[in-house]
Amino acid sequence: MENILELRNLTKSYPKSGFTLEQVTFSLPYGSILGFVGENGAGKTTTIGCILNTVRKDSGTVKIFGKEMGDADTDIREKIGVVYDGDNFPGFWTAKQLSKVMEGLYKNWDQALFQKYLEDFQLPANQKIKRYSKGMTMKLAIAAALSHHPELLILDEATGGLDPVMRDDMLDVFLEFVQEENHSILLSSHITSDLEKVADYITFIHNGRLILTAAKDDLVYRYAVMRCRESQFQALDREDILAYRKRDMQIDVLVADGGKAQGKYKDVVVDHASVDEIMLLLVKGERA
Amino acid sequence: MRGLIRNNFYTTLAGAKTFAGIAVLTGIFVVAMDNAVPSLVIGYMLLVMIGFSLNSIVGISKESTSKWGKYKLTAPVKKGDIVKSFFVSQLLWLAVGIAFAGVGVALSVALHGCPFDRDTDIFILFVAGTGISLFMGAIFFPLYFLGGEERHEVILVISLLGGIGVIMGLVTLINMIYPGRQTARQIVLNGIFMTACSAAAFAASCLLSVGVFQRREM
Repeated sequence: MENILELRNLTKSYPKSGFTLEQVTFSLPYGSILGFVGENGAGKTTTIGCILNTVRKDSGTVKIFGKEMGDADTDIREKIGVVYDGDNFPGFWTAKQLSKVMEGLYKNWDQALFQKYLEDFQLPANQKIKRYSKGMTMKLAIAAALSHHPELLILDEATGGLDPVMRDDMLDVFLEFVQEENHSILLSSHITSDLEKVADYITFIHNGRLILTAAKDDLVYRYAVMRCRESQFQALDREDILAYRKRDMQIDVLVADGGKAQGKYKDVVVDHASVDEIMLLLVKGERA
Repeated sequence: MRGLIRNNFYTTLAGAKTFAGIAVLTGIFVVAMDNAVPSLVIGYMLLVMIGFSLNSIVGISKESTSKWGKYKLTAPVKKGDIVKSFFVSQLLWLAVGIAFAGVGVALSVALHGCPFDRDTDIFILFVAGTGISLFMGAIFFPLYFLGGEERHEVILVISLLGGIGVIMGLVTLINMIYPGRQTARQIVLNGIFMTACSAAAFAASCLLSVGVFQRREM
């Protein structure tokens, strides 16, 4: 078994809003971090809902630890840690009360580890959660998700409310988590710079459809943006173009292999592409 | 289940503390007053039994202010157990209410004598308080899980009034079947019948709520 999480042709429709998650297929190998990127309303949270069974899928399969998870599969959920964006826990609780509740929910709840996280993250145990800052509530959620020794972490915009310093600290925690070869993380985020730092794979979703899944190193080191004039653009081989976007006098063209493009089109400027730029071109650009 | 019960306990704790304070102060007042006219004792008994149950039910709606309701579904618990835990919690808080009512009426009787025509009246008051509480929960939970998060205040009022209405209906029915003055034995049997009806409705509502919650998406 190579993948901790496998989605095959996952489909979910919301007739009232007209939104459809279409045939979503991707997998998360053991020991890796998969960045799940997309704009608001692209379908990230719906996909995560289908994975976690909080949303009923219409069709397709979702396998976690090689098995489809039903309501009765509590043993699988023991091995999953979840962090949602925003307030994960009732604000009128304290971290201490949260710990007592979690202790009753998870067989492997590690009180000492949770206490250590509270100290490391400087979270007062007896203060009501509603008195925490947004960053503190996110850190508490991450601490809670890690304190029952999960093997799979599913983080839905978990770093969204954190400042850059805190985010960096959390990313270190995630990297430490995946040092165990049977641990993996599905990290949904808008903040593509975070994914560039930690993700092994990145999947882009747009309007309910996956538009690209690639190894991060390929995206960062191989994918590139060619800055073309109109005449240069017309001369390009259509097969080389993943997406393009017209900007004033220039056309930005996303290519899968910058080195090859540089050799093939010598008079065109080829820049490295950030994950942000790739996402913008894929979402806002046109396909050849 | 232990974690879920603890979760429900912490969710209702703040409200329960406040209500317990009021119940103690009101209890002292009721016990101190002469009970020749028993309306204060009757009111106190019903207030504490229904009040603690009501507070337990209100707690569930407080969870919707965060993503905790959704988060719980990702924990190693079955959806059915989440629903059952709310019913169990309500029963536990009802037991607390019954204890308060019991202590209050016992002290009042000890200090001032029995304020009722017959001892069985006290039993019937416990039956009424328990019945209203159980019917209230039986009406509230399925409606709430059917999507009443935004309308929980209205559902709560409907449930409370519904609970009172059903118990009054049952009393009317019994009085129609047994017109005239009932014997103590008849009163006790009727009380047991009313409690059995309340318990059956509560249990049926639990099964219905589990079914509704299983199909719910968050």
